[in-house]
Amino acid sequence: MSKCGCLGAQAMDFRKDAPAAGEEVGPVASQLRQWPIQLHLISPNAPYFQGADVLLTADCVAYALGGYHGSYLKGKSIAIACPKLDEDQTEYVEKIKAWIDEAKINTLTVMIMQVPCCRGLLALAQQAVSQAKRKVPLKYVIVGLQGDILEEAWA
Amino acid sequence: MAVASPAPPVSEPTAPGLSAILATNVREAIARFPAIGKLLDEYAIHCATCSLGTCRLQDIVDIHGLSPAQETTLLTRLAQVVLPGVTVQIPQLPRRAAARAAGPVRFSPPLRELVEEHTVIKRAIAMLPVLAASLSAGVNDVSRRQVQELLAFVRNFADRFHHAKEEDLLFPLFEDAGEIITSMRAEHEVGRDHVRAASAALAAADAVTVATHLQAYATLLMEHIRKEDEILYPWMDRALNDTQIGRLFAAFREVETRFGDGPAMERAVVTRLENEVGIQKQGERQ
Repeated sequence: MSKCGCLGAQAMDFRKDAPAAGEEVGPVASQLRQWPIQLHLISPNAPYFQGADVLLTADCVAYALGGYHGSYLKGKSIAIACPKLDEDQTEYVEKIKAWIDEAKINTLTVMIMQVPCCRGLLALAQQAVSQAKRKVPLKYVIVGLQGDILEEAWA
Repeated sequence: MAVASPAPPVSEPTAPGLSAILATNVREAIARFPAIGKLLDEYAIHCATCSLGTCRLQDIVDIHGLSPAQETTLLTRLAQVVLPGVTVQIPQLPRRAAARAAGPVRFSPPLRELVEEHTVIKRAIAMLPVLAASLSAGVNDVSRRQVQELLAFVRNFADRFHHAKEEDLLFPLFEDAGEIITSMRAEHEVGRDHVRAASAALAAADAVTVATHLQAYATLLMEHIRKEDEILYPWMDRALNDTQIGRLFAAFREVETRFGDGPAMERAVVTRLENEVGIQKQGERQ
């Protein structure tokens, strides 16, 4: 159990639920189209964000969701962040606003884990969307700890 | 073969195959096999009462978002209606959209916008029968102005503004989807005909004809909006990808810019007329 006792840091063992060896698939092509990807490191005006469908993903999502590349990352530009551990998240709001107003992104999809602290990333995005001059459709996807999609909807 | 003729006795060598009936439009299919209408009703697919019925039977499964299990069951029972006593292989129909998820429909922002506009249009339509009834004593200055204002709302908000989004931006994304879009466009045209006819009759002070077309327009559009809100838009939303949603949303913003304050003013007209009609109804009771 973590010191803070929150679900986000609680130890859980999923080994018995892991697929058998025969169910694993071979190499899967990466759908990543850019570098860097960490939200502090990206430039919101980079060419691959111009008019793009952007995926803002909580750090843990890509590890939990087996089909992340094919089902969600494909065709999108990306940034990753952790609303629990990352510092200076005011800059995150400004970067998301720059995506909307300067890079004129087409849509913003926020993918988070089901743990309560992850909601902070969606809240950051909603704050930026409400403060931006342009309006863009905002979608959110909530991923369960074992990679199931708990909710997917337009905000 | 006359498609609207009563269903002939089905014998296996001459019976139309399941795929053939699936490729037939709903009206023809139900005319040949009335049991199909009742069967579709069980799945809350009320095509038997559709004013047009030109959608292909096979598209209905996709448009209504049946689950794969529901689709198999429906097609199996459909086969029993069309080819009784014959064992047929149940096909898997092509789908443009995923099956409808459980729970209430949650629209994407552009489709949500259209549904919200429908609520304003429905408020205006709800006044049409009231105005039509008020014309029973003939056209006077008040009723003429109210009907003129409501018809102007229909032309400016419902037709030019709202249908500009639908017909110019949304529907073209689905032109290859079969008859459903043709049907919806056709209903828009019928609505326009009623509005033109009501306007002409109002100019001629023909109260009976005005009332007839107002009532017909109200009936047509209420059912049209129900189909869009409950069937068409949810299907479209399931079929559109994120890129299309974003582009549609941006294109709708351009429409809003182009129309400026007009739609807001039209909304205000509806609110004012609601108050006026309410006052009139109260006055009638006194």
